[in-house]
Amino acid sequence: MKSMHIRAGAAAMTGALLLGACGGGPGASGGDFTGGKLVLAVLNDQSGVYKDASGPGSVKAVKMAVADYKKKYGDAAVVDDIEVTSADHQNKPDIANTKAQELYERKGADIILDVPTSSAALAVATQAKNHHKLFIDVSAATTQLTGARCNKYTFQWAYDTYMLANGTGTTVTENGDKNWQLIYPDYEFGQDMTKSFTKAIKGAGGTVQGAIPTPFPNDNFATFLTKAGSTKPDVIGTMQAGGDLINMVKQFNASGLKEKGIDLAVGLMLITDIHSLGVDQFAGTMFTDPWYWNMDKETRAWADRFQHETGTRPSFEHAGNYSAALQYLEAVQRAKTDKADAVVGELAGKKTNDVFLHNGEIRAKDHLVIHDTYLARVKKPSQVKEDWDYEDIVTTIPAAKAFPTAEESGCSM
Amino acid sequence: MLEVTGLRAWYGEAQALHGVNLSVGEGEVVTLVGRNGAGKTTLVRCLIGLHRQVGGTVSFLGRDITGMPAHRRARAGMGWVQDDRGIYAGLTVEENLLLPPKVSDRAWTLDRVYEAFPVLADRRKAPGTTLSGGEQQMLAIARVLRTGARLLLMDEPSEGLAPVVVARIGAIIREIKETGVSVLLIEQNVKFAATVADRHYLLSQGRIVEALDNSEFRRREVQLLEHLGI
Amino acid sequence: MNAVLQYAVQGLAAGSFYALAALGLAIIFGVLGVVNFAHGAFYMLGAVTAAVLLDTLGLTLWWSLLAVPVLMFVFGVVVERLFVQWLLRLDPLYNFLLTFGLTLVLVELVKQKYGVSGLPYKPPGILQGRAELAGVVLPRYQLFVFLFSVAICVLVWLLMTRTRVGMIVRASTEKPELTRALGVNVGRWVTPVFGFGVALAGLAGVLAAPFRAITADMGNNFAIILFAVVVIGGLGSIVGAVVAGFLVGLVEAFGQAYAPTFAQILIFVLMALIILVRPAGLFGREEATR
Repeated sequence: MKSMHIRAGAAAMTGALLLGACGGGPGASGGDFTGGKLVLAVLNDQSGVYKDASGPGSVKAVKMAVADYKKKYGDAAVVDDIEVTSADHQNKPDIANTKAQELYERKGADIILDVPTSSAALAVATQAKNHHKLFIDVSAATTQLTGARCNKYTFQWAYDTYMLANGTGTTVTENGDKNWQLIYPDYEFGQDMTKSFTKAIKGAGGTVQGAIPTPFPNDNFATFLTKAGSTKPDVIGTMQAGGDLINMVKQFNASGLKEKGIDLAVGLMLITDIHSLGVDQFAGTMFTDPWYWNMDKETRAWADRFQHETGTRPSFEHAGNYSAALQYLEAVQRAKTDKADAVVGELAGKKTNDVFLHNGEIRAKDHLVIHDTYLARVKKPSQVKEDWDYEDIVTTIPAAKAFPTAEESGCSM
Repeated sequence: MLEVTGLRAWYGEAQALHGVNLSVGEGEVVTLVGRNGAGKTTLVRCLIGLHRQVGGTVSFLGRDITGMPAHRRARAGMGWVQDDRGIYAGLTVEENLLLPPKVSDRAWTLDRVYEAFPVLADRRKAPGTTLSGGEQQMLAIARVLRTGARLLLMDEPSEGLAPVVVARIGAIIREIKETGVSVLLIEQNVKFAATVADRHYLLSQGRIVEALDNSEFRRREVQLLEHLGI
Repeated sequence: MNAVLQYAVQGLAAGSFYALAALGLAIIFGVLGVVNFAHGAFYMLGAVTAAVLLDTLGLTLWWSLLAVPVLMFVFGVVVERLFVQWLLRLDPLYNFLLTFGLTLVLVELVKQKYGVSGLPYKPPGILQGRAELAGVVLPRYQLFVFLFSVAICVLVWLLMTRTRVGMIVRASTEKPELTRALGVNVGRWVTPVFGFGVALAGLAGVLAAPFRAITADMGNNFAIILFAVVVIGGLGSIVGAVVAGFLVGLVEAFGQAYAPTFAQILIFVLMALIILVRPAGLFGREEATR
């Protein structure tokens, strides 16, 4: 009996080994893939505050990229079996950390995409470094990912706090709003943004009269606004995001500061914020946007596809995830393997264009993806022609000016 | 009027009453004496329907009310004068009087209450608990009289009051009796009990150990006081 | 001076939301003995309902101030009949857990149906912009919120002091057992009182709709401060709930103005101090325990 067991076990193991050997993707292209397949994992917020802006929509976008890759290469594709998986990190760094481990080790993920919330993204970056697997950040904004805490396997695809602050701070100051008051949530993102804003405003010849920290989360900004308005600034810059931003804008509109001629500039605005609060409440607000769905024919065509799949227009995170997944698949195609070092080699230094990246470059030195970004203004309700048609693109900020230089990043891998 | 047969009561596993039998007739004043912990308060709570873990039967005006909820017992004519008087601090004197619903055509009018208790009329707009202890006791009694209750369950009405006030309460109880209302009086003050009651029950360790008429009760006063530990 | 007055109005406006909601919480606790943990979720539902009514039926704020409390009352009655009543005889902890669970369910349902980014809401034009009062410039909407909720608090106070229902609510808050033993059918009032408390939370939500982000999570943080309000005012004290509501609003506003990072902590410091000095809260009566 016992020997039977042993023999059966041995046979099973041999079978598994054989299967493993055969399952290395389409033999024709000579592929080299662990487990015989390529696994793309989207790790983001599936239920909390960032669910609408990225969440399930980003998973959909990655699946669209996979479909496009397969359509483009057909039989010539180096890998047939491509799996897209997802996990919910609830915006908590500890959960992100465990989930990333699980995805890399047990789900066989070759790459993790998206990861909103800076602290969660930093945790995933560390896991990527330890596991020698890729991580492309799309939704987290901290400059540390490609700065002080950069690593070989981590890429920052869409934006960072420098880009947001620099675009808005510089342009608004140059347009005549010289005197600023800043209001920021007292945690990493808010502090980071405030530093970057201050630098940009001063660089453009403006002054920051004050910077007021607020609790996070917070639903009552009335007094903070009165206080900020008391120095009679030209513009109040708010670094609040998500629900807090909506509270802030509603209370700014009710505060009467607008009537006194004080403008509101927003550090990070997502199109879902405008959609949820209503375009009239935001009308005229300036902010920097990495991408907008209705910029040109190509983006619009892609947005139509996305809407067909999901029922809503895409945010820049959705498009960013599509682009990141697509460029990753292209790199895999060129490398003919899912081995991280080879794929990183194909990605780094690549100059490319797609529906999201305009004049894009995956900078080799710090893995920050630089591309053209846009200063946007929220339309007046009378200008809105269709649902989700909320933004006017005021200026294009060329890739080289939009992001910090490789020297400024301070990354050494 | 009130007939209690084999009443048992528990607090969880612990039995507090072990088959109490007692009765109160129409227009009768009956006292229940017993030392602390004898089960007096439990008995009252069983009778008014606030303690529901019971066995045996309680019948009132010929109806079995053993399972009846408290507010319906009150509506059937049972009036409770709580041992701490139960005056609402958040209600005025008049609101304290008006809170319980009328339950029979014997109900006193507000005018009659104020005539009988002039002090309540003077303080009608004041919060209930601003009255003195004796006044609060009168308010508590007046409150159940206004409903037209047929039986008053009075828990230690003389407790903590000056002798003059106790005498006044005694007078009120006798007046009540005159109108045909029955009273079950829970008392430790044996002297006071003897001045108002017709019959007496002695409760000890959850059982009625003796039933005495008033003359016997007076004769054995010293022995009873000893039993009560006073 | 001008700034101080502005802070005060802002504080009173923020306090209005707390006062109305805490009033409902206090009345429910008084009559049912239930600490309704779902009050924050009912506040959220009030705001969401107002936004949905505006979006689908075009009902403006004025109509919502009327319609939403009625709808929330009905909702409260349903919740009480379906769930709360069965646990009233048990330890109050059971209803605390029930309402906590209810919060999670309601928040998740709203997320499923309306997403997480929130819903738009446009206040009537007359309430936008600023008003000048004796040389002081004040935001109109906040002034309106304050005046409106003071009016509601006065109405509720009249209801409590001038009607038989109010008398019964006060009586059973203070001495639940005696009130029943005196022949008052307290049970008859339990359901409408729960509905009324829920309606007040919903009303606070409607008032918040034009002024705060309408999201499934809007009640979470609110509920935490609300419990601080109730503890400060004295659990079950109706006057205490209102006074503490406005007080906490003021502390929040002046805290934001002069010690921004500590604004929220200040409320809990205040709460701790009051518990130290008066364990039953500002207006609580220690004997009014159950």
